[in-house]
Amino acid sequence: MEYIGEHLLPGQIGHAGAVLSFVAAVLGAVSYFLAEQRRLHPDALGWVQLGRGAFWMHGLSTMVVIGALFWILVNKYYEYYYAWANVSDDLPFEYTFSAFWKEQQGSFLLWSFWHIVLGAILVFRAGRWEAPVMAILLLAEAFIGSMILGLYVGEYRLGVSAFDLLRQTMEAPIFERADYLSQVTGNGLNPLLQNYWMTIHPPTLFLGFASTIVPFAYAAAGLWTGEHRNWLKPALPWALFSAAILGLGILMGGAWAYEALSFGGYWAWDPVENTSLVPWITLVAGIHTHLIARNTGYSIRSTYAFYLMSFVLVLYSTYLTRSGILGDSSAHAFTEMGLGGQLIAYIICFAAIAVFLLLRHAKTIPTPEQEETIASREFWMFIGSLVLLFSAVLITGATSLPVWNKLVQLFKPDYVGAALKDPVAHHNRYQLWIGVFVGLLTGVAQWLRYRERNPVLWRRTFVRHMAIATVAAAVLTALNALWLNIFAGQHVALLFAAMFAIVANTDYLISFVGSRTKQAASSLAHVGFGVLLLGILATGLNKRWISANAFAMEGLIEGMGAEELNKNVLLLKNAPMPIRGYEATYLGDTIERQTRIFNVRFRRKDEHGNFTGEEFVLQPNVMYNREFTQVVASNPSIKRYLTYDIFTHISSLPKAELDPEFARQQEDSIRFETYEAAIGDTIFTKKHYLILDSYTKAPRHPDYHPQKGDLAFGVTLRAFSLEDSTAHVATPMLYLRPGKGAFSLAAQIGALQMRVRLMEASLARFIDAEEALQYRPFRLKEGEEITAFDAYRVQLSRLSRNISHPHYVPDSGDIAVAAHLRVIAPEGDTAEVAPVFLIRENRVLHLKDELFKWGLHFRFENIDPKTATMTIAIAKAPEQARRIPIEIAENAPRSDYIVLEAIVFPGINLVWFGSLLMLSGLGLGAWNRLRSRDKTLQDSMLSVRE
Amino acid sequence: MKRSHLIAIAAIAVAIGILISASRDMTTYANFAQAAQKGDRVKLVGYLVKDRPVEYDPVKDPNFLAFYLRDDAGEVRRVVLRAGKPQDFERSEQIVLTGQMKGEVFEASDMLLKCPSKYKDEEVYVRSEKE
Repeated sequence: MEYIGEHLLPGQIGHAGAVLSFVAAVLGAVSYFLAEQRRLHPDALGWVQLGRGAFWMHGLSTMVVIGALFWILVNKYYEYYYAWANVSDDLPFEYTFSAFWKEQQGSFLLWSFWHIVLGAILVFRAGRWEAPVMAILLLAEAFIGSMILGLYVGEYRLGVSAFDLLRQTMEAPIFERADYLSQVTGNGLNPLLQNYWMTIHPPTLFLGFASTIVPFAYAAAGLWTGEHRNWLKPALPWALFSAAILGLGILMGGAWAYEALSFGGYWAWDPVENTSLVPWITLVAGIHTHLIARNTGYSIRSTYAFYLMSFVLVLYSTYLTRSGILGDSSAHAFTEMGLGGQLIAYIICFAAIAVFLLLRHAKTIPTPEQEETIASREFWMFIGSLVLLFSAVLITGATSLPVWNKLVQLFKPDYVGAALKDPVAHHNRYQLWIGVFVGLLTGVAQWLRYRERNPVLWRRTFVRHMAIATVAAAVLTALNALWLNIFAGQHVALLFAAMFAIVANTDYLISFVGSRTKQAASSLAHVGFGVLLLGILATGLNKRWISANAFAMEGLIEGMGAEELNKNVLLLKNAPMPIRGYEATYLGDTIERQTRIFNVRFRRKDEHGNFTGEEFVLQPNVMYNREFTQVVASNPSIKRYLTYDIFTHISSLPKAELDPEFARQQEDSIRFETYEAAIGDTIFTKKHYLILDSYTKAPRHPDYHPQKGDLAFGVTLRAFSLEDSTAHVATPMLYLRPGKGAFSLAAQIGALQMRVRLMEASLARFIDAEEALQYRPFRLKEGEEITAFDAYRVQLSRLSRNISHPHYVPDSGDIAVAAHLRVIAPEGDTAEVAPVFLIRENRVLHLKDELFKWGLHFRFENIDPKTATMTIAIAKAPEQARRIPIEIAENAPRSDYIVLEAIVFPGINLVWFGSLLMLSGLGLGAWNRLRSRDKTLQDSMLSVRE
Repeated sequence: MKRSHLIAIAAIAVAIGILISASRDMTTYANFAQAAQKGDRVKLVGYLVKDRPVEYDPVKDPNFLAFYLRDDAGEVRRVVLRAGKPQDFERSEQIVLTGQMKGEVFEASDMLLKCPSKYKDEEVYVRSEKE
């Protein structure tokens, strides 16, 4: 069949690009490999040039693939599955990026993109190391490229193409039509991903992942070439850069989780988070052994191991998150695409390279003859790296349980499998001690020297500063323990370690570093680590749910008195609810596209329960799907202070708000009774009584948007329960829109479960009544009085050109006069009306006025300018027309509430600040090393030329 | 013996110690019958029984959710979770609970929902305005 309107070109270009990119990566890897193997042969340079050519080819074709995919997404070509599944016509442009890397292919492309950027830098700057390093990088690229090939090798499909057509991916009758495309529209992006963090977090994280290949490649190259010391210098800035960016990527993930997800925190020890943290930890351990190696020549072997391990762990993380194996241990949903086999091949290949190189060359790695002294800095740095390794092993082990279960099940199919009872508690329990050790080590090791020349002088300095740090940290620990209510032994230990790290490193920064920014980098990073620990303690231990009301909720929770379980509070609309430290009021909601925003006002109270005057409105929201039939995301709203945050989100809504089918059934089950009442009458229902207060022709209702030509009226009622005297106001209304029909808008009184509405039929009654009125004309002058109209007295108090009639819309050229009439009832009550006499474009119009409660209608009929007498016509409606039929239901379920969760996070800013400080320390380190590298680089360039 | 060897031995000893103690944090997957037998906290995987009532009335108690779950052995039990009801609860394909049996009822302390990937197996959207 010939399909109409398909754009097949970008797909063909993209597909060809993917194949070319893969082939070029393989070619480049082989060329660079041969270039290194045949380094001393005359043809080596030729291989290098071929490798470079292949790399540029690979880079260029990958960019073409990326461009083609963007083209498809930006232009919303729904004939492609990728576009159909991830974008829609109404998706804002900035989320095209999130849509791009939402699926596996896009994120592989992103990863590949960064490898190419890093590779381009390496081609220009790696000098002697270009061939071995680029061989490894291009090998990785070949694996990544294979993931998006979408080619069949016999029965086996190699990779999944991003350019598959919708009609090839799905079977549906619609594809039998040649013009199916005109009927298809995109699904749009998962609302959880429509968040600005989702446009910057993935690129940063993937740059972090991608950059770990560089230390890996340098380490592999060092082993491969046997030049165990020479690679250390050029690799160091790369390792520092990688740790800084990977850390930043992880941190952004935490920020996204905190701001966009509703689990209430920045870290949940979810397998996805763990497996991205572990490579960072081993990378940081590697940086420490790397520094030891650079300064003393020890620990080269561990540096190799850590860097090789880091990249393999990145691959392992990719496998865990993309293969679907995590299944029921992770909350993150990943689409499984059958790439598991290829991912395993990728891991095994790189793990094999690492193990092979290490075993083969372990003997040739130089180690100094003499043992390191215990008082040396590098000894303790090495211990620190070991502690970090423990941390990585523990996290990986626990996270890998699903993998382990799968493996055992391969051999023992009936194996049930193990899981962590409580992952968060487990990880916290062990990582806490890692934090204690690392915190203390950073403080102590900084003051030790790499190679001490004057031991006596140094010892005195060391002891003095350690004493200062210990005392200061102890005092700060005591103060903070009081602030944060930390009394458990292990928490005090961690608090002390954090304080010690902060104090000792700050001291070092001030006393020694001064203008030598090289050392500042490490001190900054370590201070940051201490601050981060402090932040984790503050938020983790003191995260308090304020959305609880011990009194209001008392007795409602069956058999449960434990306060910590009261995490949610029910807020009725406009009913202030006292919660811990605040009064919360749900004020109302508004809808914007698919988002429903709830306004919740908080008023702070002091210890005595008095308002402090501080108040703010938070706007947590929920996102519906396109049909408005389901809530697909609940987005938090956060009030930020310097020392704490208040985090809120909607944890539940009335079922009728979530499920339209249920809402319809519920609506049908409501029983209305009809009552008739005139203004001033009291209506007695089964459980309540209501007073009909007034009647208006200009009613207001949240769902009423007035239009020209509308005929509308509404009433105001006050409803009371029999128990108390609180008045609940209800304002139901009716309107008639020309060409559309009559509509009744009900009023809900949530507290009484009451719904009040006007019957559409009563509108007709009022219109008919108007036609049946018998007007009687009266002639009178200003100040005169009609003494007897049905026992009423009517005075013409004044004439005015200032018109306030509700139906009067001024126009230029109008001549309008209002007659202000004062009506006195037989009982002595008075009321004012002002009918209008209007001449517009030579036509005479009368705008009538009425006194509904008395059934009186007034028209300003005529003005006689000669005698200055006015003609006022008055009519009285029959008794029946003054009675308004009102329908009242007393079993209307409440749907005017939200269930809110509100959490106070003290010290959350310490987490962000500490992490950023630590990462800028790493970044600064990378910058310093880069600057000092340029000289060496020139040397190595010379050596290549020779 | 060199100090590095001592460190290595110590490190391995510590690692083994930690791993042994960490294994206490582990539990196994179980169904209702096994959970009742063990009496301990377990992980339980099952499916929401959609034709039995889901009890959640936030007006009464926003922190009480009760529903019926069918485990992989086909047994149906009432499950109580003292927390709010997640928005996509009814859509869940599979539910993973952590908790223990208390008499006839499984008291869960933690719940993880597995929802169908949002757009999988969904029908092709058709533009309504063009029909």
